[in-house]
Amino acid sequence: MAARSIETDVLVVGGGGAGFRAAIGAREKGATAVLLSKGPLARCGASPMAGADFTLDGRNLSQLGFAGDPNDSEEKVFNDIVTQGFFLNNQKLIEQYVRGAPDRLKELIDWRLKIVFSEERAIFTTGIGLMDVLLKRARTVGVDLLEDVMLIDLVVQRGMVTGALALDVRSGEFIHLAAKAVVMATGGWHNAFWPNTGMRDLSGEGMVIAHRAGAELGNMEFITFCCNVLLEPPNARGSIATYVLGMQAGHELTNNRGEAFLDQYDPYTVGVASGTEWNKSFISHATAKEVREGRGFSRGGIHFRRGDEPWEKYKAWCGILFPNWKYKSLDMTEIGRRLEANEPLEVGAVVEYFDGGIVIDDGFATAVPGLFAAGECTLGLFGANRVFSAITEMLVQGADAGRNAAEYARSAEIPAPDPDSLAEKQHKAERPLERSGGLRPAPVRRKIQEMAQTHLGPIRTEGELQSLLAEIQRVKREELPLLSPAAAGRSYNKEWVDALELENIAALLELAASSALQRTESRGVHYRADHPVTNNDEWLVESLVRKTDDGFALATRPVSTTSITPPAGTTPYLDMVKGMMERHSEIGGHH
Amino acid sequence: MAEKTITARVFRMDPAVDEESRYQEYRVPFEEGMSAMDVLDYIYQNLDGTLAYYDHAGCSLGICARCNCKVNGKATLFCQYLVSGDLTIDPISPSKVLKDLVCERKRENP
Ligand SMILES: Cc1cc2nc3c(=O)[nH]c(=O)nc-3n(C[C@H](O)[C@H](O)[C@H](O)COP(=O)(O)OP(=O)(O)OC[C@H]3O[C@@H](n4cnc5c(N)ncnc54)[C@H](O)[C@@H]3O)c2cc1C
Ligand code: FES
Repeated sequence: MAARSIETDVLVVGGGGAGFRAAIGAREKGATAVLLSKGPLARCGASPMAGADFTLDGRNLSQLGFAGDPNDSEEKVFNDIVTQGFFLNNQKLIEQYVRGAPDRLKELIDWRLKIVFSEERAIFTTGIGLMDVLLKRARTVGVDLLEDVMLIDLVVQRGMVTGALALDVRSGEFIHLAAKAVVMATGGWHNAFWPNTGMRDLSGEGMVIAHRAGAELGNMEFITFCCNVLLEPPNARGSIATYVLGMQAGHELTNNRGEAFLDQYDPYTVGVASGTEWNKSFISHATAKEVREGRGFSRGGIHFRRGDEPWEKYKAWCGILFPNWKYKSLDMTEIGRRLEANEPLEVGAVVEYFDGGIVIDDGFATAVPGLFAAGECTLGLFGANRVFSAITEMLVQGADAGRNAAEYARSAEIPAPDPDSLAEKQHKAERPLERSGGLRPAPVRRKIQEMAQTHLGPIRTEGELQSLLAEIQRVKREELPLLSPAAAGRSYNKEWVDALELENIAALLELAASSALQRTESRGVHYRADHPVTNNDEWLVESLVRKTDDGFALATRPVSTTSITPPAGTTPYLDMVKGMMERHSEIGGHH
Repeated sequence: MAEKTITARVFRMDPAVDEESRYQEYRVPFEEGMSAMDVLDYIYQNLDGTLAYYDHAGCSLGICARCNCKVNGKATLFCQYLVSGDLTIDPISPSKVLKDLVCERKRENP
């Protein structure tokens, strides 16, 4: 089938906040920019799902006229991100984050973002409001926007990026893109897990494609699970509404014996974890422990109740967070009724954010000339644990990556993408369509998603990681080559898309399980029940996966530090968690 | 306890090969609080992989509107329609069907 052809200076892959901000940045530098969005414009990826908080230091926040804490400073934020990250952060990226945040907030205000409220070091807006503002700006500056278009592969010639192959999911047509520079902004790979937080488009193609092009990936074992995510009723499964509510209004969490299981932990740790975004790592860890030890409920979760919190307080928070009893557009009336009656809701630890990703330098360039990356798909900013805002991350990184990609595109001599290479990639992508009588992708996907949830969740062991790895390798060998869509046509052939995605999901699970197996310590969101100690003597290193001729090889590299030198020594995991909490500056708020 | 099931009557048409649309019926296990999207997910994942509905992306939270459709004759969103019993599912504009429940959209750019 004939393919459409498009030429651009900068190709941005991903229609979340990082992708939009990168495309705007490239356009503002005078480059032409095309943005591929796999799903609906400004309504796909994690960005519109976010609450959303945008963090920056309170002093800059108060100078911008918000209720920030003037005693805060860029240094304090830097310090807190390092300790929250268990020293595994790339400190150069934190500097870029802290420095870039005020300008990003200023421009959002200029672009008329609606801010709901602010606190010590954050403003709160909505993911939808934010995406609407970015979409409008992208249209104003003239970014070419392609919706329902999925990147299939990059074309690399003489070691540099020259273009890409994409698929129009609706028509089933291929698109050939000639691009001088590419910014990967494809977010996480939530779809490798079941349940997940709801985005159907996030299967991690960007990371796998960048890896295939020659970029390294790192810290793939660090996966953040959000606690208190609804596991029922079915229409609300994966919604973080209860997480958001619980953080503001409090909650009681019980196991299947009716025990308030957080009571067994250090009260200081529980206190910090209940009132700040430390909850994601700590409460998810505690939840996973209950469920793994047989004290959970049928859907793999625990019970969330209002408990002793007065209904009046709860109702007031519901009024702010769920106007008209809607969260986004999800009808919350039945959930509200159950909260008022103090009936339990089953909630659990569900995959939310990927701390690892594509290795980039502090200009957001990968080792492959012409290939840049920004936002959640990158490695390094938050180290082993994220408490500060990923919304700020996607915007500060997107802006710089887009600008740097435009500059590279202007100066570089880039040949047109090789038609033979495009044809070969096209042929490879069509393979599932040519097979018949094979295997359907959806059941294969569900099986590995459920296994990923139990074996690569907040708590891991060597045995479980080994069995996950063995299963993924078996699926790669025996099942992926047989995947074939039952429908013959190309237009909106979802099983075709699923077959292509499943290859990425399997690849990423293999890399992540291998990295988790290699890291024989516990740090941040990676807890090894068989190695329950944070080991700064041996493991203060980023895990890397490099492409080799026959697959990949694991490696490590020291963390990049600028002003904070991590301490040596080994510390039991929960003591380390508490120690990291205690090193927080005196600035209050949720971060 | 015997599992309760419901019948979903689903509009099917691939304009590339079909002259006319038809309805196909599927039996789906019923769960209290399930949405029409949950019904389609069940069919697609367990019974019939040829069924097309906007599923490769989308929010399940009622914010992207790509799952707009008709259930029992009324315009709604798959992901926000709460199922209580048997149901009939149609595309939002039957004359603009790309495939089954997915309709054509105008492209804004190249
Ligand atoms: C439910 C939820 C709530 C959250 N709430 C908050 C919050 O309140 N505060 C906060 O700071 N962080 C929050 N986070 C995290 C934060 O939202 C994300 O880290 C951030 O939005 C990521 O932005 P991004 O642009 O890097 O990626 P995304 O927004 O995920 O966008 C990725 C984009 O890439 C596209 N894409 C993927 N593959 C392809 C392909 N092959 N071809 C073309 N396009 C592709 C996707 O369709 C999507 O458009 C939340 C996350 C979730 C899941
Ligand atoms: S899936 Fe987005 S509105 Fe239904």
